[in-house]
Amino acid sequence: MADQADFERDAMQYTRQLYSAAMRMTRNPSDAEDLVQETYLKAYRAYHTFQEGTNLKAWLYRILTNTYINKYRKDSRRPSEVDLGTVEDMYLYRRLGSEESAEAARTTEDRVLDGMVESDVKQAVEELPESFRMPVLLADLEGFSYKEIAEILDIPIGTVMSRLHRGRKAMQKRLWEFAKQRGLLPEDAKRP
Amino acid sequence: MNKDCDEALENLYLYLDSELDAVSSEKIRAHLEQCKGCGPAFDFEGRLKSVVRERLDEDVPDSVVDRVRVALRAETAPDSRLVGDRVGPWVVWFP
Repeated sequence: MADQADFERDAMQYTRQLYSAAMRMTRNPSDAEDLVQETYLKAYRAYHTFQEGTNLKAWLYRILTNTYINKYRKDSRRPSEVDLGTVEDMYLYRRLGSEESAEAARTTEDRVLDGMVESDVKQAVEELPESFRMPVLLADLEGFSYKEIAEILDIPIGTVMSRLHRGRKAMQKRLWEFAKQRGLLPEDAKRP
Repeated sequence: MNKDCDEALENLYLYLDSELDAVSSEKIRAHLEQCKGCGPAFDFEGRLKSVVRERLDEDVPDSVVDRVRVALRAETAPDSRLVGDRVGPWVVWFP
């Protein structure tokens, strides 16, 4: 049992991280602020149910996620519209060129990674269907383990892995499109 | 491509996400060191993961942290009923 009096001391350190995740969920600063505030109020009121010594950060993310799903989600229950049938693993890497030398390949990779601007990456994530976006955010932005993600989203660990995998593929496909638009890719290059 | 490459690629994300046990992870690491195909591929995927993380990090306005603190203080105050759930920035001036 956790003491409510300790809540501010223990929980406030995660505000900035929660806000970053909230921004990618709600897609706008005002809703993200509301979502973070509501998450903290709910967490404070329920803090006596939190098992001390367990993962407070994951517990806060679970409240954040549930609050978002209940309140802000517009496309609820809509199945994924992303057709990943033809998207192979390492989609982006395979399209970075087939230069003879390792140095030339590395140059292309550097150019693509360095040229990947913030707005493109954010858009690529935001466009993911929600069932993919959440695991990708929790893994790639927050660094949660698969087990923690399973607990936060209340889904089996196998589902976490497959959604994460598919989400990353879809994101790579979008990032490749952005890289192409920005002229960062060699013409007609594809690795075997 | 051989059996080791297949095994490595199958575990690409588990490896990058540090989800493998020490033995499997070490086996893949050793393979990556000597494989001209898998080494650069894993390296790229790892760098991409870092870049995505960096680019997604948000500049958080201080107002977010302030607002949460104010809301929590209002919640703990004896007359919190009067303030309610939604606490605007004006509360800062009338603590």
